[in-house]
Amino acid sequence: MHQQDTDKQDQEILALLKDYPMPEATAGFYDQALVRATHEGSRRQRNRWVMAGFGSAIAAGLVLWLIGGFFLTTPGLPDGANSVPGIVMTLEEPRTVNLVFASTEPLERATLTVRLPDGIEMSGFPGQREITWETSLNAGKNLLPLRLIATSPLGGEVYATLEHNDRGRTFRLQVDVS
Amino acid sequence: MLAYATIRAEIATRGFSISSAQDTFERLVRPHFDRLYRLAWRLCGSKAEAEDLFQELLIKAFSKLDDLVSIAEPGSWLSRVMYNLFIDERRRFARRRMHTVEEGEMSGEGISGLPGNADPVRDHERLQRMQVLERALAQLSDEHRLIVLLHDTEGYKLTEIQELMELPLGTIKSRLHRARSRLREILSADGTFF
Repeated sequence: MHQQDTDKQDQEILALLKDYPMPEATAGFYDQALVRATHEGSRRQRNRWVMAGFGSAIAAGLVLWLIGGFFLTTPGLPDGANSVPGIVMTLEEPRTVNLVFASTEPLERATLTVRLPDGIEMSGFPGQREITWETSLNAGKNLLPLRLIATSPLGGEVYATLEHNDRGRTFRLQVDVS
Repeated sequence: MLAYATIRAEIATRGFSISSAQDTFERLVRPHFDRLYRLAWRLCGSKAEAEDLFQELLIKAFSKLDDLVSIAEPGSWLSRVMYNLFIDERRRFARRRMHTVEEGEMSGEGISGLPGNADPVRDHERLQRMQVLERALAQLSDEHRLIVLLHDTEGYKLTEIQELMELPLGTIKSRLHRARSRLREILSADGTFF
């Protein structure tokens, strides 16, 4: 076969390949894929995180800080309680504290803010004294494990504030470091 | 036993609120959607699997948002993640590909979904030529088919394919050359093409 013929055929193939069609994505597919990705991506990551938190908690003897009665249908309850629950941590030794929020109804777009004293950090958020998430709660009990690390012997109070619309409550946890 | 539902979401997006994470994610990935979708299609060869792969990519990318925000060229990174996803689950996608060969002939899918113009005869000729090309492409190895489609159809540069596949440039060039030669052989032997 002559080189000229080969070149001509190559050009013809290239022209065909350039024209080789591909269907458009299904209408609305991109938007749906984005929504699914953010929901599913969060869920998968959360599951890993929760399982990791529980594994550590079980290994550490499961410190459970139960904050019951976060009933947003009964606003006006005094913040915190008369007695502030407390834990004792060992310096530089991570410890998981499980917060349990009970809600009588599903809550979309609630805001959870954790405030940490100097010397107490949350795993994965080095140096941050205040961490805020937008979150959703199911009806019933909702569990949030917080993995804390004491980086100094000072200790102090950890505050967790949950807000939804114009309602909210703040819970306190006294952390002492041995 | 865990009887508690868990608070949704947040740790996936350290440092972001959920809404800002979604906004950030969309801002980073949406500009690359068309190109990524085309890559998914070229990898999988059918719409259902392409959309499945595309979806898997976005889920994986969102869970790595912390990494994504610091990447200078998100498009290249996303393409590479998609390619690796495809390779990792090749058996799954390859199996599906076999199952969906006929799907390409369904209405609105593949070459039968070619937009028509005012000339039905030309439409018909074009459709026939594309069907011949498609059969020829199907005879190539996966590696050869992908390289020729990315380079000659999608316009990827050789260096972009090299980055995507993490192969030496020489290997990419030789595969492209062999793929074109093989296509020429197949189409010549077919007798209906040249």
